[in-house]
Amino acid sequence: MKAKRDYLLHAILLGIVILTMLPFLFVLNNSLRTNTEIYHAFFDMPSALKSALRFTWYELTGRQERIQLKLPPAGQEEEVEAARLEPRVVPYGEAMKQLGHTLTRGYRYCWTYLRPYMLNSFFVCLVTAAGVIVVGSLSAYVLSRYRFPGSKVLFLVILSVMMVPPVLTLVPSFLLVRRLGLLNSYWVLILPYMAGGQAFAIYVFKSFFDGLPEELFESARIDGAGHLALYRHIVLPLSKPVIAVVAIVNILGTWNNFLWPFICNTDPKYHVVASGLFLMGQTQVATNFSTMYAAYTLSSIPLLVLFVYATKPFLKGVASGAFKA
Amino acid sequence: MPRSRSRIRKSWSCYLLLLPTYLLLSVFSFVPFYWAFSTSLYQYEIGEEPTFVGLSNYREYFADPTFLPSFSNMAFLTFFAVCVNVVFPLTVAKLIFSLSSERARYFYRVIFLAPIVVPYVAVQMIWAGLVYGDAGLINELLRSIGLGSLARGWLSHPRTVLWAIAFVGFPFASGINILIYYAGLSNISQSVHEAAWLDGARGLGKFLRIDVPLVLSQIKLLVILTLIAGIQGFEGIFILTRGGPGFESMVPGLWMYFNAFSFQRMGLACAIGVVLFFLILGLTILNLRYFRSAESLQAAE
Repeated sequence: MKAKRDYLLHAILLGIVILTMLPFLFVLNNSLRTNTEIYHAFFDMPSALKSALRFTWYELTGRQERIQLKLPPAGQEEEVEAARLEPRVVPYGEAMKQLGHTLTRGYRYCWTYLRPYMLNSFFVCLVTAAGVIVVGSLSAYVLSRYRFPGSKVLFLVILSVMMVPPVLTLVPSFLLVRRLGLLNSYWVLILPYMAGGQAFAIYVFKSFFDGLPEELFESARIDGAGHLALYRHIVLPLSKPVIAVVAIVNILGTWNNFLWPFICNTDPKYHVVASGLFLMGQTQVATNFSTMYAAYTLSSIPLLVLFVYATKPFLKGVASGAFKA
Repeated sequence: MPRSRSRIRKSWSCYLLLLPTYLLLSVFSFVPFYWAFSTSLYQYEIGEEPTFVGLSNYREYFADPTFLPSFSNMAFLTFFAVCVNVVFPLTVAKLIFSLSSERARYFYRVIFLAPIVVPYVAVQMIWAGLVYGDAGLINELLRSIGLGSLARGWLSHPRTVLWAIAFVGFPFASGINILIYYAGLSNISQSVHEAAWLDGARGLGKFLRIDVPLVLSQIKLLVILTLIAGIQGFEGIFILTRGGPGFESMVPGLWMYFNAFSFQRMGLACAIGVVLFFLILGLTILNLRYFRSAESLQAAE
């Protein structure tokens, strides 16, 4: 009875998983194909991949003479037109190298565009996350562990920033950074992102710090430890999980933010992955489908790596009710 | 008086440690917040002197030919998003939660979260090109089953564009929403389920009468978040259609963007932002009130 119900649930859930993943699977598939292939037969595997599989089969079954490719004879690469070539027998290794070259064409081409965007994104994400964590956790620590005149009001004012929708401040923020002379720099991204990350970070940090037992702090205080010593030796070592949650949420937001870098940086030197992808889509780079699909794939890898390492603590953090209203 | 003195000194260092946060917030949050309202009262183009015009930006916006259509587009898209964001992730979360193996439950939670690694811009561009494009997934699928006559540019046809935008992200089951519902479902105590079982509650009826009311705070959270995102979100539409064809998929946020960054009309753009701000504020308060009363009703029962 129970097993039967589980099979049904698995069937429904797997169906939904496939529907969810379908566009991304086609992105992966089409990032390995030429425009002609895509137009000719949308629902097909990359032809170079099929050839590679066939040649491997020939190699294993000892029919090397059937491994044929339209390759110019060695030393004459420049002189012969590709269309006039006849297929000729090539060694297995060389054929594989050639097919690998064909398959990764989109990836190699898009990487020349994507590389600087990636580096900018890494830099901005890391500096922003580090800044938010250091500044936010210090403030949260002070607001959580000390009573001083105005502490409640100061906390509420920080929280109230969360109520301000970005759509209200988008245009005036642009006018502000323009007047500050920050346009076309990394600071125009990092500083507003750090400010924008404060409220959420302080809220999460403070609720975590509030739960730490006071005895931990008392004994250290008796030993004469100051604010920063308490913070460094007691608070920080205990808060690794919550730091991870704040860092992940922050990096996710920064990595995905498209509009702000798009508006503020007209110099391509400072574009990040999100705005860079959009710009690539506007230029002739996008006429090759495989280039764009390869760029989507490559731009997902950094977060995929983060995802693999951070899923467990993150699921724990969400399950513990960090997102309950 | 060494004691009060030390207290003052301690407080001073507290304020000092709060200073970085407050410096950042003052410059990049409070100033833009104030400027949004003040700039909306000026006629202001970059490079020219602003002139005070009172409320005329607001009058101009309310008389703008895009005003009503863009709000109705926004209302449709937001309503659609709220519906699907409540129903689909909750259903999937319940399905996952009903699995008997803990490992399978973990597997599905991870797999449904995985699509968040694809950048938002890329998702929109993938839907615009690969799914809705001329030689895209939907059109090729239609052609391959002999319904090629139905193939069209889904995002460039006035009659399909809004529905096409609304369906971006189908089946709406990825991301963090499922986890939020899942957390809510797993907080329901086992004794509630047992009592419901003894009272004869089964299947859909039990789901609607027991589970749904008990995850109301999660539903509330997602309704508010989706409402806010729907009212102010225009990045997706900017990437998908730029408000086209014509003005068929224009939304207020996008019109604000065009006024600011294409037509250089900063005052009018700020006025649109202020209008949207009050709309969001009003709906948030309404939502909190309504759901709070619903929750207290339930508690009273």
